[in-house]
Amino acid sequence: MSTRKAMAGNERTTSTYCYQCVAGPDLLKVRVQDGIATEVAPNLDAAAVHPAGGKACVKAFGLVQKTYNPARVLYPMKRTNPRKGRHEDPGFVRISWDEALALVADKLNEVRAKGLTDEAGYPRVAASFGGGGTPTAYMGTLPAFLSAWGPIDMSFGSGQGVKCYHSEHLYGEFWHRAFTVSPDTPLCEYLVSFGANVEASGGVCGVKRHADARRRGMKRVQIEPHLSVTGACSAEWVPIKPKTDSAFMFAMIHVLLHERPRDRLDLPFLRDRTSSPYLVGPNGYFLRDRSTRKPLVIDKATGKAVPFDAGAQPLLEGSAVVDGIELGADDEVISHTGVKVRPAFAYLVDHVKDYSPEWAESICDVPAATVRRIANEYLDHARVGETIEIEGVTLPLRPVSISLGKTVNNGWGGFECCWARTVLACLIGGLEVPGGTLGTTVRLNRPADNRWSSVKPGDDGFMQYPMNPTSKEEWKSRPQVRSAHRTLVPLVADSPWSQALGPTHLAWKMQGENLDQFPPATPPDVWFVYRTNPAISFWDTDAVSKAMARFPFTVCFAYTHDETNHTADVLLPDCTDLEGLQLLRIGGTKYVEQFWDHQGFALRAPAVPAQGEARDFTWIATELARRTGLLKEYNAAINRGAAGVKLSGKNYDFSLPVDQVHSVEAIWDASCRAASAELTDGAETHGLEWFMEHGFRVKPFPRLQWYLYPKLVQEGLRFELPYQERLHRVGVELGRRLHEQDIHWWDRQLAEYEPFPRWRDLGALWESALARHFKVEIADYPFWLITARSMQYSWGGNVGIQLMKEVADSVAGHGKIVMNRGTAARLGVADGDRLEVRSPLNRTEGQVMLCEGIRPDTLLMIGQFDHWATPFAKDFHAPSMNALMPMLLDLTDATGSSADLVKVKVTRLKDAA
Amino acid sequence: MTRWAMVADLERCVGCQTCVAACRHTNATSPAEQWRRVLDIETGSYPNVSRVFVPTGCQHCADPPCMHVCPTTATRQRPDGIVTIDYDLCIGCAYCEVACPYQARFLISEPQYAYGRAMQSEVERFNPDLLGVAHKCTFCVDRVDFGLETGLTPGLDPRATPACVNACIADALHFGDVDDPNSNVSRLLRDYPSFRMHAELSTDPSFHYIYDAASRAPGATSPPEDDHARNRSAQPARQEHWNWKAAGNFVCGGMGAGLFVFAVLASVWDGRMLIAGWPALALIALGLFLVLLKIGRPLRSVYVLRQPQRSWMAREAWLALVLFPVAALGLWFQTPFLLVPAAVLAMAFLYSQAKILSEAKGIPAWREGRVVPLVVATGLAEGSGLFLVAAMLLAPAGVSPELPAIVAVVLAALRSLIWLNYFAALRRGGTPIRTLEILEAFRPWFFAIGLVLPLLLAIAAFLIPAVALPFHAACGLSIALAGAALKFVLVDRAGLNQGVALTIVPSRGGSRPAHSVKPGWSMP
Repeated sequence: MSTRKAMAGNERTTSTYCYQCVAGPDLLKVRVQDGIATEVAPNLDAAAVHPAGGKACVKAFGLVQKTYNPARVLYPMKRTNPRKGRHEDPGFVRISWDEALALVADKLNEVRAKGLTDEAGYPRVAASFGGGGTPTAYMGTLPAFLSAWGPIDMSFGSGQGVKCYHSEHLYGEFWHRAFTVSPDTPLCEYLVSFGANVEASGGVCGVKRHADARRRGMKRVQIEPHLSVTGACSAEWVPIKPKTDSAFMFAMIHVLLHERPRDRLDLPFLRDRTSSPYLVGPNGYFLRDRSTRKPLVIDKATGKAVPFDAGAQPLLEGSAVVDGIELGADDEVISHTGVKVRPAFAYLVDHVKDYSPEWAESICDVPAATVRRIANEYLDHARVGETIEIEGVTLPLRPVSISLGKTVNNGWGGFECCWARTVLACLIGGLEVPGGTLGTTVRLNRPADNRWSSVKPGDDGFMQYPMNPTSKEEWKSRPQVRSAHRTLVPLVADSPWSQALGPTHLAWKMQGENLDQFPPATPPDVWFVYRTNPAISFWDTDAVSKAMARFPFTVCFAYTHDETNHTADVLLPDCTDLEGLQLLRIGGTKYVEQFWDHQGFALRAPAVPAQGEARDFTWIATELARRTGLLKEYNAAINRGAAGVKLSGKNYDFSLPVDQVHSVEAIWDASCRAASAELTDGAETHGLEWFMEHGFRVKPFPRLQWYLYPKLVQEGLRFELPYQERLHRVGVELGRRLHEQDIHWWDRQLAEYEPFPRWRDLGALWESALARHFKVEIADYPFWLITARSMQYSWGGNVGIQLMKEVADSVAGHGKIVMNRGTAARLGVADGDRLEVRSPLNRTEGQVMLCEGIRPDTLLMIGQFDHWATPFAKDFHAPSMNALMPMLLDLTDATGSSADLVKVKVTRLKDAA
Repeated sequence: MTRWAMVADLERCVGCQTCVAACRHTNATSPAEQWRRVLDIETGSYPNVSRVFVPTGCQHCADPPCMHVCPTTATRQRPDGIVTIDYDLCIGCAYCEVACPYQARFLISEPQYAYGRAMQSEVERFNPDLLGVAHKCTFCVDRVDFGLETGLTPGLDPRATPACVNACIADALHFGDVDDPNSNVSRLLRDYPSFRMHAELSTDPSFHYIYDAASRAPGATSPPEDDHARNRSAQPARQEHWNWKAAGNFVCGGMGAGLFVFAVLASVWDGRMLIAGWPALALIALGLFLVLLKIGRPLRSVYVLRQPQRSWMAREAWLALVLFPVAALGLWFQTPFLLVPAAVLAMAFLYSQAKILSEAKGIPAWREGRVVPLVVATGLAEGSGLFLVAAMLLAPAGVSPELPAIVAVVLAALRSLIWLNYFAALRRGGTPIRTLEILEAFRPWFFAIGLVLPLLLAIAAFLIPAVALPFHAACGLSIALAGAALKFVLVDRAGLNQGVALTIVPSRGGSRPAHSVKPGWSMP
């Protein structure tokens, strides 16, 4: 009966992690027989410390095939055909590591000699890494080399900005240190999910927490155009028209503010923890005290205006005649005497007056009664007034939340949706409290490893935020990187993550056309690519592919041949997941639903030796540093913590001598010791050997720190909601700066800087932009084309793994064009037919899958797999919406993102047997 | 006592397929098989649509049809309920695969690799013993036994628990002893409503599905699925293991047995007709030879004789083993003392073939009880038809075909009546829609070739004596061909498996009315 072969040789198990997607890391064990990795299994030794009991996502099970995939690039290679392009054979030939590194180092040294930035002011070296920062979990000490190098353009995106939760990243960080936002699922009882596909993208922690919540009785309403796996696991599916979610949420706010008694809201929260009571002056800025310049509120006891922090109990509604000033753009002071003003909350009530469920019905194609019921259920489940004790601290309990998915919270409409979701949380006091809506990680604020530490008092009783300056003196009129993130997007800040969160499609777009008054688009002299394939994963993939073919020197860390490294000059094979060595910080609160009660470090121990001549990434980084004369800076960066852990602390110092070449093992041994010491205040200094044996080391993480509310109470701060005075001012200033430079192509984006977002007809916006740009009759394109996350594939870069294809094919829709059955019947389309799907930009084709769980006006493509070079994947013959997506400024919002959404038409090609 | 069981929580399962991948790793299965499967099933019409994820696999039935039919004793059941396969005994006949109503068994004859050629990891774990034999989920019996030997509790201690359960990220899969009232699974089954798949087939499966109490409210039954495209993975699919070669055994075996019986019967009147007994035996032998070509391990085919006490396939083999020498000696010596027993053995052989089909519980079109009279009747009708052909060949010797022609036409008519009865029973009892469609499409041809044409030919032969012989032969050939076609259609084309059905589609956190679903079936 046993399927196991009797073991002739030795057998052992290695601990490691999988961080192929943003919802990781998952801790694993790898079984090795006779030196060959044969099995992956969850690391159940971590059951007590990992939120999902040490379980590992399905993607991790692809790692054995990933290691031994016969299509792997196993030797350094160089291009022999100087012509680049899809139809050019690169003519890759095998070379030695020495030759490969010499080629790269010579080019880098040449760049260094010319200057780190080019004549246009852009960095000469660019680098693109895959989604969500996950490649850093595999690139060893490369961040230390990048840090040592100096300016690097990281703005050539591979999906960042157009495929991420972009508005949430920026506004979430701004409002509540929430680069990603999550319900407090372990306590939540009612969740309205606008397209958040947590069962596909929430990783093992998300799946486990939501399964537990369902069993607990949490009701989740899934509002999205198709019935995703998350919709399938929800209590209710509401098929909403694409990109109309803001109208639904505005109507929910309307119901709470206009149809329910005011005392059902969490008035103390609004009064004390938000800007609701701040008075708003006639020009839309807070009315402030003349001397202190602090925003004023109306003292309930006296009816007089006092500074917000004067200890008065302020009114949320009503009005007062007040003297004061407004602080406008560019330090303009607008003085008022005896002006009648009202609190921001009163204006909010006015703002949503017309946004009734009946108004939303025709926009969303959802019955008003449904919208109203969901709003009321949201309020009725909120338990306003109740409390819960967390680690000895009494906190509000508000077990309701709203989550937003991709396409809902990026591009136009993302601001409205993020604002409405966060305001809905504020209205019931459910922001950053148990059961409510939480942020999970920090990427733009510093320090990035702890949300509480990132909370610093700023002006007006709000948290400080590292906005890119828009003042005349400080505004960066010349882009520092090709996405111009500091020039165009104040909110994106300037952390190491910011470049990739600017308008990354501008970087690609400008390779083909110049924008008025901007420095000419130059290709980078050297482009590094790792774990990403923008030739497939970005938009307008034809244009992106052509742009990268013009890059003079591209270095790809290559797993297999693919569509992007088809244009590479050098291929460097790095150790894959089960071969390399690295220490990773785990726990605390990280992406998506990664809320831990522990924090610490996990080791990615090599389970098996590298295949072929693949080399550990840390070795490659060290060699690059040595050959470019940056060894001292590189080692210093490692000592500072560029590889994940600072090597010295209060009671310990494992810093590496900066003038020596250190072995891979020596670097990570020092890191392990420092990590161990960091966790124990220097009491323990376990080295690499200990981590090899045990896999991970953690210490408790206080659950109280899941919530920002207690920190804000501690600091006496407020959430900068609902009124967006600061953004309003920044928008005016940005407009002035751009216009001073005679830049007008960003004017549409400036309109988003509103104190309260107005509803926009995004359908009309999309249609008019496409019609105008491509000069088409948009009525000829009757379908909305959307996409959805896939647990088996998203972020994984694992399209060439057979096991992933096999299991993904068991989840309906993968690799297909999903169409409503009724629509298909009307068009005479049968299941399995091959269809051409055409947008105004381009065409794709694939096999149709019919189902009932999708709106009749919507098509769905899960996974964009029209590969033509990647082995195995190139035989899928699957469609891709990426080829159909234009990079249009008109469809770019103020944060620099856009959404996976386009209008298409279909034609039946032939019957598929 | 102990009875190991799996409990799948439909409220928790998200269809992520992690258990499927973990099973692949643990059991080193090939890309051509999934011992643990998770199906993605959609029900309802827009916008009132449900989608549910259903883990399935071997159900380790208390009354396992796969074990009952196994001719070799390779499939057995342990006292703790785990159904096992002895890979050294299995001959790869695939009878268990068509007997399993859960599509849980696999038979792979050639090595299958992820990328066409073997990777190192596949070479390391390749086990040639698994080629050409039946496989299925073992409940990770190695782990269970390891746990029992070391004092661990299967289902609670990961080292003693099936890999799919350990890997399940939603905690949707649970494993334990349902005979222990305090076990994890017993508690779950007490705390939540549950059902078992295809409970009406009385296999007493050890795979339970639990769901939310809110779904218990009586609700609608889904209308029959008339769309072959939807829920393809859950719909009954054509069984792939008994192909034309297997059908050939039923065709040749039935014809041969029938012809032999008629040859012996006719010899009462005219001993010369006994010569038809030789081609009859050749036909039976040809059928069995075709089977030999089909099975995964032909070199150990003698193991087919190991279990006549339960398996009709073993009985068929035993009957053939006795039939051939008795019949051959009977024909050689033309002695009724051997020919009569041989005819009885031929009838028994024919009956065993019919029973082989009817015991295949996994194929709704076969397990319908009326398939037995149908197969027996068509075997006799075919035999009578072939006898008419033989009669023409022997005509110069003065053999008269009138009586055999009447018998053949009467048998063809009887066969048609039994067919109608069988078809009506399929309709009444519920059958895969595709099975009905295939049989319905075949029906006019069957009646035309198998009854109307033979009748017309027989009448013509009666009315025009000058062409009586060829017309009688054509009449017989028509009856035989129709019978052959019937069995080919029944075995190869209409042999759709059971598919998947859910007694309850859970509401998952909501209060939608419960409903059942049985994709691809004519009635739920």
